[in-house]
Amino acid sequence: MLNLVVCLKQVPMVTELPWDEKTGTLRRDLAAGMMNPACKHALEAALQIKEKFSAKITAITMGPPASEEVLREALALGADEGILICDKLLAGSDTYVTSLILTAAIKRECPKFDLILCGAYTADSETAQVGPQLAEELDLPAAAYVEKLEIHGRILRVRRLVDNFRETLEMEFPALVTVSMENYKPRYTELMGLEKAFVENDVIVLGAAALGINASLFKNKGSRTKVRKVFLRKAQKENVILQGTASAVVTEFLNKYQRKISTAIGKSIEEKKLNDEE
Amino acid sequence: MQINPSAKHKLIRNSVRHFAETELAPIAAEIDRNAAFPLNVIAKMKKLNYFGLQVPKEFGGAAMDSISAAIVMEENSRVCAAVGLCVAVHNGVAVYPFLQFATPEQKKHYLPKLASGEIIGAFSLTEANAGSDSASVETTAVKKNHEYILNGTKIFVTNGGVCDLALIFALTNTDQTRLQSSVFIVESCFSGFLRGELEDLCGMRANPVSSLFLEDCRVPEKNLLGKLGDGMKIGMTTLDNGRIGVAAQALGIAQGAFEAAVKYAKERQQFKKPIASLQTIQNYIADMATEIAAARLLLYQACSLKDEGAPFGCEAAMAKLYCSQIASKVTSMAVQIHGGYGYSKEYDVERYFRDAKVTEIYEGTSEIQRLVIARSVLSQLTF
Amino acid sequence: MMKSKKKSIWVFGDYRNYYQNRVTLQLLSKAVDLAQTINAEVCALIFGHEIDEWIMEYTAHGADRILAIDDPALKSYSTERYLAIIENLAKERDPEIILIGATDFGREFAPRLAKRLKTGLSADCVGLDISQDGLLLQIAPSFGGNMLAEIVTEFHRPQMATVRPGTFKEIPHNYTRKALVERLPLMKKLPKSRVRLVEYERSVEKEHTIENASVIVCGGRGMGNKEKFKKLHDLAKLLGGDVGATRPVVYAEWADHGALVGQAGKHIKPKILFSFGISGAIQHTAGLGEADFIIAINKNPQATMMKMADVAIVADASDVLKTLIKELKKRIRE
Repeated sequence: MLNLVVCLKQVPMVTELPWDEKTGTLRRDLAAGMMNPACKHALEAALQIKEKFSAKITAITMGPPASEEVLREALALGADEGILICDKLLAGSDTYVTSLILTAAIKRECPKFDLILCGAYTADSETAQVGPQLAEELDLPAAAYVEKLEIHGRILRVRRLVDNFRETLEMEFPALVTVSMENYKPRYTELMGLEKAFVENDVIVLGAAALGINASLFKNKGSRTKVRKVFLRKAQKENVILQGTASAVVTEFLNKYQRKISTAIGKSIEEKKLNDEE
Repeated sequence: MQINPSAKHKLIRNSVRHFAETELAPIAAEIDRNAAFPLNVIAKMKKLNYFGLQVPKEFGGAAMDSISAAIVMEENSRVCAAVGLCVAVHNGVAVYPFLQFATPEQKKHYLPKLASGEIIGAFSLTEANAGSDSASVETTAVKKNHEYILNGTKIFVTNGGVCDLALIFALTNTDQTRLQSSVFIVESCFSGFLRGELEDLCGMRANPVSSLFLEDCRVPEKNLLGKLGDGMKIGMTTLDNGRIGVAAQALGIAQGAFEAAVKYAKERQQFKKPIASLQTIQNYIADMATEIAAARLLLYQACSLKDEGAPFGCEAAMAKLYCSQIASKVTSMAVQIHGGYGYSKEYDVERYFRDAKVTEIYEGTSEIQRLVIARSVLSQLTF
Repeated sequence: MMKSKKKSIWVFGDYRNYYQNRVTLQLLSKAVDLAQTINAEVCALIFGHEIDEWIMEYTAHGADRILAIDDPALKSYSTERYLAIIENLAKERDPEIILIGATDFGREFAPRLAKRLKTGLSADCVGLDISQDGLLLQIAPSFGGNMLAEIVTEFHRPQMATVRPGTFKEIPHNYTRKALVERLPLMKKLPKSRVRLVEYERSVEKEHTIENASVIVCGGRGMGNKEKFKKLHDLAKLLGGDVGATRPVVYAEWADHGALVGQAGKHIKPKILFSFGISGAIQHTAGLGEADFIIAINKNPQATMMKMADVAIVADASDVLKTLIKELKKRIRE
């Protein structure tokens, strides 16, 4: 039986960026959460492996109490158990610390894993760093941006497209992959049997103490990187409005912006005089 | 009665909403315009157990509680009311009578297929001369050997154009002194079962509503649902349940229109500011929010009572009456807030306005709901 | 033990796909700029086989020093081997900053390297600077590019960042420049690669180009039908760009999934974005935070997309498309 670990993250559902102008921070608490899209693909890959081989899926996430929702969703989709790492101490950790914490939890709860699957990147921070850093911390062979996984005994074969190269790689378990969104389209949650996803014991909650992580890790020197400032990328857009018939607006548009466009496309666009009609 | 959603209800809502936003939202406007029932999306929904919401597990159903089922119907209708209607009618008034009145053999034979959506169900009581006056059905069922021969015309049958099975109410005794109606499980493959043209409706256009013609339709006697003469009983019980489904649909439609109106109010600028900053618009938004919140509580109350096994007919009628009324109000207000653009098909809100209206009419008009509520109140001895 | 007294900014030589992939040259240029502010030298790392071409190029584009290892064992990129090599070199030489291009390789390699060196890393930076207190200011995007963060690595060295290709401009090559080239031997105890490259081939598929395209022509439901939507390809071709689509369009099979732009699809960063017949649902616009110049065409002036645009053209999208193609065909000179 294969032991699969899937790392999940709950990210804000961006229906509207809940941005607090006054404090210059993101009001994450206002935005509803959702399972990070790439993590959904990683979970789908794990579920497909489970359908083919005999496997146990442990879903793990680190976050505030609300993050339990993504674990329950994973259980509803077919994961076997969930681990929620939740502790105020851990808030604001960068990827360096996150990978340390995930490692501690994995070593404690599912040390005999065969494969760890992560989403390639998150929709909020988008660093794509946790996967590789977790692999480094656990000293695992790893491949990122995987599109297809095949298992032959203890050998994992993956296919991916990186920097215009179509690669097929092989490695032995235990290993780690990050899954891209090109493949493994996530399945929808079935409405049958959802109450199974809410069995109390199926999700264990671990705090920092349980993981043997002490506060000293989190004084200044815990996270390696520090965010000094966050700001909305407000492109100061003029919002010029052009109206009229198709030919009128196209002529006006090209006359105003032909230089900008020709610079971007690397070809020159002739100016056309208004009375040069065909 | 719960006010705060449980984690399970939240997961159900998010899951259905995700499906609806991904699969129904992109096609909702187009299928309304073309009155085209989206068979491929319906096929996906069948696989996800949308057609067996409250069917027991042993028959392959999702065995959901009533609030969960209501949430499913609400979230579907929030995006595409015509599809929400299909699911609500199938579960609420086609499957439900099987759960309440079918024999073990009938359950064994039909429930698994109904739950999987292999059979889509319809409920047909209404006739040209029998709308609110449902006792005046004229379709007849005459016993002949081991069959019943049905003759008559049913109109405005939701799912009529695609249903594989319809519950037909027919007179089984034309004795003037005591009219007796009964319910028959009629499969579309029975001889003498014909579908009429699809109706060209104001709203819910993608739902295949049609007439059903029974011309010497031969129904095996084992397809009698309940006992001979149970027509009124089955009808009333089923419509009690159906009301919850309609309330959920109406609530979903109101919710969808409301969200669109709030979004628009924040974006639309007039007098150099968003119209959401104008007190009039804020008043509208406040009214809509409050009405929807109250409607939701009425709906969940009816659901809770039903699950407790308590009588819930009056509360279901209240929920249906109120939810459908506020749906019409909220959708109308939503169009108003959108101004001229609300009247254009460029925006979805006019579809919500058209879809909402029928919730005040079908499965018991608002007038009938008031009748039910008044009778219940007047028959009570304590308050 | 060579410990330069001068600080050192290392730039990883990502030379694969050279002619399109110019990120190393871009980073060298920025490194030169940063080096002036903090009085450092710019050092390029090149590990491979038969690497003289790169040594020449990087010297010509700003490197003061080259750390080169030329060995058949390094013929193909290998994360594990590079990690071991750089770990060793970093221990010896204590670089102040390491910059790596945010190619797919870089984005996978850099985090592991940062972990190995026990230091911090910012990903996919769109800006670099030196702060008042002499730290590397790393400006990285988040939320689909709708937000930017200024990040520093205060207490650990080296300070590391991966940088998005196209962020910086390369300095024109100057073949008279000289650099100190150190040809280092391959370390004796090279780790065995636990990840084996079984096969690879150059991909001619266009799948991923939309994320790197500098001109994108996006279409939504407002195009009307598949025929009219397909015309977007003509405009894209004229402009040397790519076609993107919204989810309803992909769903209606007017475009395939690879063209999907938005929360569940690609995050694009074009210089010019044409947005035809798109209303601007957040699931789509969440992927547009980094489009430099947006031209939206829609019958409806209220559409969110129109408000987000630099130029909002209120007209029928399909008509404007046809006319624009016709006009550009007349005016474009190759």
